[in-house]
Amino acid sequence: MSKLVLKFESAVLQEVAVGQKEVSIGRSPENGIVIDNPAVSNYHARVFTEEGRLMLQDFGSLNGTFVNGQRAKMIMLKPGDSITIGKHTIVVTDSVEVRARSLDHADPKPAVPKMNETVMLDTKDRRAFLEQIAAVGESAQPAPGRRKIPTLVVRNGNTDRSEYPLNDKLTVVGKSAMATVKLQGWFKPKAAAQINRKEDNTYYIGAADKTPSVNGEPITHPTKLTSGDLIEVAGVELEFVVRD
Amino acid sequence: MEYGARSDPGRVRGNNEDNFRLAPEMGLFILSDGMGGLEAGEVASRLAVETVLDHCRQAEADPTLAVFGKHIDGVSETSNRLASAVRLANAEIYSHAKNRGGKAAMGATIVVLRFVEDRVCIAHVGDSRAYLLRDGQFDQLTEDHSFVADQVRRGMLTEEEASRSKMHNVLTRALGIDPQVEVDVTEELLRDGDIYVVCSDGLFRELSTSQISGVLQETDDPQRAASRLIDLANQAGGGDNITVMVLRNSSKSTRPFSKIGRWFKGSDENDPEAQS
Repeated sequence: MSKLVLKFESAVLQEVAVGQKEVSIGRSPENGIVIDNPAVSNYHARVFTEEGRLMLQDFGSLNGTFVNGQRAKMIMLKPGDSITIGKHTIVVTDSVEVRARSLDHADPKPAVPKMNETVMLDTKDRRAFLEQIAAVGESAQPAPGRRKIPTLVVRNGNTDRSEYPLNDKLTVVGKSAMATVKLQGWFKPKAAAQINRKEDNTYYIGAADKTPSVNGEPITHPTKLTSGDLIEVAGVELEFVVRD
Repeated sequence: MEYGARSDPGRVRGNNEDNFRLAPEMGLFILSDGMGGLEAGEVASRLAVETVLDHCRQAEADPTLAVFGKHIDGVSETSNRLASAVRLANAEIYSHAKNRGGKAAMGATIVVLRFVEDRVCIAHVGDSRAYLLRDGQFDQLTEDHSFVADQVRRGMLTEEEASRSKMHNVLTRALGIDPQVEVDVTEELLRDGDIYVVCSDGLFRELSTSQISGVLQETDDPQRAASRLIDLANQAGGGDNITVMVLRNSSKSTRPFSKIGRWFKGSDENDPEAQS
């Protein structure tokens, strides 16, 4: 029993058993392997068995099908062959073992959309698909538990504390009941400035009722903070510190 | 806070599977887009909006009301309450679908906005969206839980390629599908003049973001803006149900709803700088 393994860069997106059943490849949702990319034709190619041999046939696709770097129309496949379609790769593997969660019927969108209805990826396939797709871009995201929490250290001015860990998605400097850095005094604004934590754990300071300065320069747009930056707003000075 | 809202079946579908609820006295605005055959979609989205509204009302009356699910760090208690309400809605739809014998799968998206003190808290699941127009810039505040959006985030499709994809209607997360659901929450500082748009996909499938922000910039009245957006989406095809809420934060308002603005000023009535 052979398997086709659809990959994008190093990530495995889908595994399909091939042999008894032919597997079609293309952009259209009806295919066994769906590659949702404009470089791929609706019905691009198929992999099927003929006289016990595994064959690949390109349906005259616009951008072609490449096996081990060579453009192919009809070619016999063997384990280890690498099929390139657009930016995706399909690797042919010879595997006796068909894993339990292998996507036998091989469609990440089992409920073929009818009449443009909104559909969910089916539960079993969705889990497998999401687990596999999760590998792409994973390295770019820091593990949540190991995220460094920067600190705002008060250098000057009246606040309720002397330093504040920046744990929140939205940190407000002001008099608001929900402000993290609570300003004290009569004429302080409700929200003088805001600091936003982005998904990649970077921090940006933005204006609110006041325009803060970073290292002496008034900001004109949300500005990324780096360790040691000195923020001045509404009569207080705060240092953004990332400790090791 | 001024607001306007409208829902329309569009020009292709016979029924409207979208639902919305406005609870301005709590600064709470809820939108849901249902899916599933027969009447399942309508039931799912109604269960979604009503469960969220009920849970928030109960929590308002009794702040000690249990929070459903795991506490999310880094966001306020208000955001955690919204996440709790959305998880409860998920459980309601899931068990409702099961009780029907699981014949017709049902699901729904949800977007909830709650304005409190200095900020807006947003919880969502699915591909309905919240946008913010501020200083002429129009940004999407929610990330779609869809197959296509997932591929864009991972660099497998460009935005441009994604706009031509045939997989737009495939969601990776929705209410009512699994016993548990992961809820995304985020918070934005509320500023004077902010305009928030909450909508189902029937709007942004038909209109570009510049068309949407253009309508907001040329129309002061939120109800007229919401109606105009729906008319334009219908003119563009109206391929799906369309629901739009337009929420405008303005402390200078003289309109009937301006008294709600005072609620947003919260406890700051003695603040010499409050401009209500």
